[in-house]
Amino acid sequence: MELLDWSLLNATLRMVAPILLAALGGMLCARVGIFNVGLEGLILIGAFSGIAGNYYTHNVFFAIVIAAGASLLFALLFGMMVVVFKANEIVVGVSINFLALGLTTFLLRTIFHTKGAYYDKNMQGIGTWDIPLIKDIPVIGDIVSGQSPLVYFAFLAAIAFYIFFYRTIFGFRLLAVGYNQVAASTLGLKAIRYQLFAIAACGILCGIAGAQLSLGQVTMFSEGMTSGRGFIALVAMMLGQSHPLGILASSILFGLMDAVSTRLQGFSIPTEFTMMVPYVLTLAAMFFLRDKGVETNQTSQQSAR
Amino acid sequence: MIQLQKLLKSLIQPVIAVIFGLAIGGIIISLTGGSVLQTYTELWNGAFGNFYFFSTTLARATPILLIALGVGFAFRAGVFNLGGEGQMVVGAISAAIVAYYLPAPGIVKLIAAIAAAVVAGGLLSVLAGWMEAAFKIQLVISTLLLNYIAVLFASYLAGHPFQDKTGSAALAQTPMIEQGAWLGKLFQGMPLHIGFIIALIGALLLWTVLRYSVFGYEVNASGKNPWFGAYGGIHQVKVMLFSMFISGSLAGLAGGFEVLGSQYRFVDGALTVPGYAWTGVMAALLANSNPIGIIFTSLLLAALQTGAMGLERNTDIPLEIASIMQAVLILFISAKFTKQWWKAKKKGADIRGAA
Amino acid sequence: MSELLQLTNLTKKYGSFLANNNVSFKLKKGEVHALVGENGAGKTTLMRMLYGMEKPSSGNIQLHGKTISFSSPADAIKNGIGMVHQHFMVFPHFTVAENIVLGHEPKKGLFFNRRQAKADVQQLTQTYQISVDVHKKVKHCSIGEQQKIEILKVLYQGAEIIILDEPTAVLTPHEVKELLKTIRFLASQGKSIIIITHKLQEVMEVADRITVLRNGKVAGVTSKEDTNAHHLARLMVGRELKERPARIPSQGTSHLNVQNLFLKGKGQKNVLQNVSLHVSAGEIVGIAGVSGNGQSELLQTISGLVETGSGSIKLGDEDLTGRSVRERREAGIAHIPEDRYMWGASKDDTIEENALMGYQYKASYSKMGWLKRKIFKSSVEEWINEFSIKATSSKQKAGELSGGNLQKLIVARELGQNTSFLLAAEPTRGVDIGAMERIHDALIQKRNNGSAILLVSSELSEIISLSDRILVMYEGSIVGELTREEATEEKLSILMAGGTVEGDTVAETS
Repeated sequence: MELLDWSLLNATLRMVAPILLAALGGMLCARVGIFNVGLEGLILIGAFSGIAGNYYTHNVFFAIVIAAGASLLFALLFGMMVVVFKANEIVVGVSINFLALGLTTFLLRTIFHTKGAYYDKNMQGIGTWDIPLIKDIPVIGDIVSGQSPLVYFAFLAAIAFYIFFYRTIFGFRLLAVGYNQVAASTLGLKAIRYQLFAIAACGILCGIAGAQLSLGQVTMFSEGMTSGRGFIALVAMMLGQSHPLGILASSILFGLMDAVSTRLQGFSIPTEFTMMVPYVLTLAAMFFLRDKGVETNQTSQQSAR
Repeated sequence: MIQLQKLLKSLIQPVIAVIFGLAIGGIIISLTGGSVLQTYTELWNGAFGNFYFFSTTLARATPILLIALGVGFAFRAGVFNLGGEGQMVVGAISAAIVAYYLPAPGIVKLIAAIAAAVVAGGLLSVLAGWMEAAFKIQLVISTLLLNYIAVLFASYLAGHPFQDKTGSAALAQTPMIEQGAWLGKLFQGMPLHIGFIIALIGALLLWTVLRYSVFGYEVNASGKNPWFGAYGGIHQVKVMLFSMFISGSLAGLAGGFEVLGSQYRFVDGALTVPGYAWTGVMAALLANSNPIGIIFTSLLLAALQTGAMGLERNTDIPLEIASIMQAVLILFISAKFTKQWWKAKKKGADIRGAA
Repeated sequence: MSELLQLTNLTKKYGSFLANNNVSFKLKKGEVHALVGENGAGKTTLMRMLYGMEKPSSGNIQLHGKTISFSSPADAIKNGIGMVHQHFMVFPHFTVAENIVLGHEPKKGLFFNRRQAKADVQQLTQTYQISVDVHKKVKHCSIGEQQKIEILKVLYQGAEIIILDEPTAVLTPHEVKELLKTIRFLASQGKSIIIITHKLQEVMEVADRITVLRNGKVAGVTSKEDTNAHHLARLMVGRELKERPARIPSQGTSHLNVQNLFLKGKGQKNVLQNVSLHVSAGEIVGIAGVSGNGQSELLQTISGLVETGSGSIKLGDEDLTGRSVRERREAGIAHIPEDRYMWGASKDDTIEENALMGYQYKASYSKMGWLKRKIFKSSVEEWINEFSIKATSSKQKAGELSGGNLQKLIVARELGQNTSFLLAAEPTRGVDIGAMERIHDALIQKRNNGSAILLVSSELSEIISLSDRILVMYEGSIVGELTREEATEEKLSILMAGGTVEGDTVAETS
């Protein structure tokens, strides 16, 4: 197999979807001043709930809804603790991750009576959509058409959020709350409302991301299958400067790297180095963009020095 | 007398949290058809049932305790060091490499390896601290990112240049170090090694420093009210960098001890899979960053984890119940659910709602 | 013309403290009415009650003849009362137009009609002759422009009554001129304006009527024609003079020497404008001035908490310019800070731990990095006795002490090291009479023992009672120096308000 061919890009887009969705969720939280490290846990809950939902309802669509709903619940738990009870967002986020890992593995055992992974080849997955017209375009058709519908959803979501922030009133006000909570409150904008909205939306997005993981290509759930994708999403969010289009770009970049590193194994460059790149890139980006970055009141007050 | 009252007051919250966590675990178990009584019995047995299990618990507590001490110390200084996992891993790989390749008698290898672990972990941590001081890159983020970079780098080292090429299996691990460089066991045949004692001594040392030394005073002050500290002439950046170094070197030591005392080599993933670092963070938070308290919370969490392993061996209940209980515990603690909190909230509402 | 707005006998109590005592205030349509008084006189409290941020303990507010009571600022703006705060509430990342319309955006369904917003705001700037570039991002706007945004904001929201809280505090003289012009124009267009300020020059330029508050009560209401800055200053300040204790004349050599200090502020204005002063051993130099004229910043640069752009600071033979806080403390500077809860103490720590701050390296308290707690504890207990600090033990948490007792602790700590120089900022703010006298006695004693003390206070009586020499700060400069014998409250309050005093005569300010 060659290093770079068009099927690489096809693979990239597929891997990008969960990260993109979760990163958009993280972006919403960041824009209201909350650094949500619990994305990992939320995606995992979505992944498990997707499989479980499909198992019980035998309907992929309902399964996705259930996945989104489950993650939404846990996101609201996160929201309550952080926004209402004013607990520290890092602590709660880490706890959600632990809780998700423990709970999903536990339920894997108690509901499906298996350890390690649950795999049912008879279960219907999300499948793929062949887009008429586009699929016949040479080259582009191979890349773009034939993806899971959630992949298209993810890309559309990024564009939708761009419109949301920069064209609608609700999005404008949400940005305001993130930039200057005190000033916003003097104008009657209650921070809690926007924060809970953002967290809830984040939950739904992560749930869908999880569903893509467990139902998208192969219908399977394995313990801890998110493997750090939630943190990569966080990194993609930071690299994309919490901007929907920036995140679209950074997620594609990471997805590409993911796909390339699998290929590179055949060329004896250790995968560890390609896997490091997203993180190093983010540090570099934070360095170069430190004066222009997105800063909300809260995130810039993390250190009092 | 007042001291005793105060001590009891500060213990109430963690105790309630623990009870709550165990209760939730019990509820989940009974919901899935298990026996609650049997569960708690097996949990206890798994952690403390016989001497072997007991020493396993203590052995598991060692890295947790060390990392928790480091994280707690940083918290005291008002600094968020979430890089424990990466610092532990670089400490471990440094120890493994030095202990194997240094041409010296066993005991020298051991000491050099420990020193390497301490320095490696400390430097990685200070790197993040420097990035914040110089470039305002927040610690919370940089330590998280460095975790991945460090773990991946160590993984590479163990899988390629420093890989154990003997034997047929191509595992990502370094060669086994000679017996002369091993950190001795406390009891024959039991997994507990001297590192545990050193960790306990470390806790006492930190407590003493925090309470009785000038540096400890400055650390506490920086954490509680940084402006007051600046007013009093405390060099905030210096305190932050020192705290980061201490915090990182303790994590590095944790990794070093695991290599020198338990596994006698660096095995890729052996330190990250059990989640020592995040458990350490939780232990520090549960104990409110008090070094002596951290001893107990580390033991508690370690016991929860080994107990759950025993639980899984003897029942149908998966060991992940421990993670669930742990998470609930921390969530409860972080909610600051005490009478004082409610009172303060109400007072705030009164002042604001006066209009 | 009847009154548009009437505040009648408004009283606001905080516990037993009367912030406003039976205050009445009236406003006519199209009038500019200035509310004048020193810090703590009750001006802000009065306006907060009007604006819905506080509820009056008693009294009545009438708008258009109807009794009203607002429960929140949103309420107030709905009724046409808009407030321009001292600290601007702007969003630097948004444009001027976006800042102004936020919360009341023109819309097309769910979408923000930015074009309409820009047009509306542009129209507004023309109607009220307030010129500002509506496309500019606020982070590129000057302080003066940001204030224009705040004014346009309340106009956009339909304010008929506009309250301006210390609007000229951060403006350059040019920007002040523009603002005053705008205020007069708005009034001519039928808006009614309340301006809270202590800048008497500006009041005489722009106001139709003036209400003076003093210690929570109305000291006088007058129209512009019937008064002048001098008269207003007297109304603001008139207090009984305290007995001045007899005093050994100071004859020390110059100890603290500050030359040509400049400090840039947030806007283009300099917070410190070429400040030079000296304090001799055995002398108390008091800096009088209304809060916010650079006194806090002056002390912060001397103590080392803030770096100045240029200038020099010498203590005795040592050049302290550019040195760290710790080095300055070691050179012999003690510091009673202005805000005891932010800078002066740590609420969650014990009294002992608080009392150690700043001196943890001294040989008497530590040895080779270890604290000598026992020796320290007995020092603390001595201080508790000496200053009659009401505490259950030296292990009590500092946050549990009353304000006065905490202040006594801080004073004890800073005086207890027998330094050659002391910075004292508002040393008796919020402190009861007994504690105040104790602290004053301690300061005089330190002076008699040969230390140099630089005192900053917004309490004129305190300055007059304690100082050997008095400097007055106004807008970042030292505008006058009077000796103890020359100083009168009158002269000082004129200088504090920006007027001029020549010798013993008082120049009339227009």
